[in-house]
Amino acid sequence: MIDKAYILDNGGFTAKVGMSSAKPRVIPNSVMKAKSERRRPFIADQVEECRDASGLFYILPFQKGYLVNWDIQKTIWDHIFGKDCCPVNFNETPLIVTEPYFNFPSIQEAMTEIFFEEYECQSLLRINAGDLSNYHYTSNNPGTLACMVVDVGYSFSHVTPYIKGKKRREGIKRIDVGGKALTNHLKDIISYRQLHVMDETYVINQVKEDSCFVSLDFMADMEVARKRGNDNTIVRDYVLPDFTSIRRGFLRTLEETSKSTDGEQTLRMNNERFAVPEILFQPSDLGVQQMGVAEAIVSSINSCPKETQPHLYSNIVVTGGCSLFPNFQKRLLQDVRKLAPDEFNVRVTLPENPLTYAWEGGALLSKHPEFYSFVVTKEEYEEEGLHICYERFDV
Amino acid sequence: MSKPGPKPRRDVNSRRVLDEAARRRRARRALEALEQDNFHDDPHGDLVMSKKAPKFSDKLEVRGGGRKKKQKHSAEYYKLKYRKTFNQLVEEAQLSHPDPPNYLSAQAEPSNLPERHFCAVCGFPSNYTCIQCGTRYCCVRCLGTHQDTRCLKWTA
Ligand SMILES: Nc1ncnc2c1ncn2[C@@H]1O[C@H](COP(=O)(O)OP(=O)(O)OP(=O)(O)O)[C@@H](O)[C@H]1O
Ligand SMILES: [Mg+2]
Ligand SMILES: [Zn+2]
Ligand SMILES: [Zn+2]
Repeated sequence: MIDKAYILDNGGFTAKVGMSSAKPRVIPNSVMKAKSERRRPFIADQVEECRDASGLFYILPFQKGYLVNWDIQKTIWDHIFGKDCCPVNFNETPLIVTEPYFNFPSIQEAMTEIFFEEYECQSLLRINAGDLSNYHYTSNNPGTLACMVVDVGYSFSHVTPYIKGKKRREGIKRIDVGGKALTNHLKDIISYRQLHVMDETYVINQVKEDSCFVSLDFMADMEVARKRGNDNTIVRDYVLPDFTSIRRGFLRTLEETSKSTDGEQTLRMNNERFAVPEILFQPSDLGVQQMGVAEAIVSSINSCPKETQPHLYSNIVVTGGCSLFPNFQKRLLQDVRKLAPDEFNVRVTLPENPLTYAWEGGALLSKHPEFYSFVVTKEEYEEEGLHICYERFDV
Repeated sequence: MSKPGPKPRRDVNSRRVLDEAARRRRARRALEALEQDNFHDDPHGDLVMSKKAPKFSDKLEVRGGGRKKKQKHSAEYYKLKYRKTFNQLVEEAQLSHPDPPNYLSAQAEPSNLPERHFCAVCGFPSNYTCIQCGTRYCCVRCLGTHQDTRCLKWTA
């Protein structure tokens, strides 16, 4: 059994990172440039030092959920692994690092090279974040035979069936909508309807996180949002940050909405509040011709062996940042319930922290008595090369 | 193709109608915009990178130095070595692993739910389609706004 491991859930938007013995940190996986600070870019968590985040320019290592900009990623990792962020000595600490499903061979190769040769890892485990979530879930629910892992992240969303701990690759479904598309869409509609915010990804992403919710009755909420005066219980003003007295914007309460504002700049949030997350459930609202999360779950379960289906329906777990929208879990349960055969019991678990659920699964996995047999050591890599990684890692 | 005139509310009959191909291009561009990282230029784009001059030399040093193991590579080294676009990666993987399941086969199939339409201007459910460009709208007022703003201005 190992003492502790370093776990990096390397997402397209945030890196969830830290020593298995401590709490994970959630750090932007990007380099940002500010108009207000021309002397330097902000790497990852350095953005906290940025006083004026208006017009923040993003440089991301990921594209469509896959790592393509290696110079950016290395710059960020150098910072994350360094003394000012989440220091680690890979000489003595095994690394668990996540990769997306169906990660491309040449990215896998680059991952292996960079961790063994550049960061000189002693032992490495490359794994899908969903595998860690499944491990977390089955550890919390011993005896579970199957688990449906739902990850609604940044670049895309996935539903993945796990049967007796093993991922069923044929059942994986990817929906090309995640938090990034939602923020970009919100930017577009606000820019068209109210105020030009196309350059304000950072701020509008916060607007999204602070004001949106998942509707439990979409058409009814549309009718409420149409109403005027007190009958409209959905409309809210969002006070934008000015980066002098207001560093982060906030949503006004219903009572305070429409109050006159002294110098505060506000956005009027009405049907945007629930029409934006709705896209996760019906991507065709945005012209993306794919199933939404609930439909994809049902379609995926239908493709699994009959005897596993009741287990999958009753062990759905949701992870990823977008599952933090209020009512996400309720709506998912409601929709899957409607589509699933009546005889099945449907259960949807929203973990306490869906964002770090996979990371925590990694921390648990590192305590597995046979953890050493999951990793590839530097010696093995030097002797057998990439081949051993393809053999041992199932990404 | 002529650009749409600046005058709003011209006689409907004199308006250009966007053809099918142009509508599809417009729809595709809207989808691509959902993937975009930024809509403005790099605010430091005009700065000249000063201290990071010897970009290729670290790589040469590594190759020529002989002690491959201890040398740390620069960020630039990885950029050069693994420079592949997303599309190249997909194509490459399709060639090496053509049989599903793979990245392409994993994409969720089209939804069975009936498609819904929303007014491009106000976001409420819409029943009408702009004759010129196919955009959805819900009422005369929103149609007016649409014609004055986005209708044919995004030339296809
Ligand atoms: N409280 C919240 N409410 C709604 N959305 C949120 C909240 N917190 C984070 N998000 C969104 O979740 C997304 C990031 O989720 P997550 O960290 O799971 O993605 P990731 O792992 O970086 O990306 P991926 O797995 O797609 O590569 C962002 O779009 C962010 O705006
Ligand atoms: Mg993720
Ligand atoms: Zn309208
Ligand atoms: Zn039009």
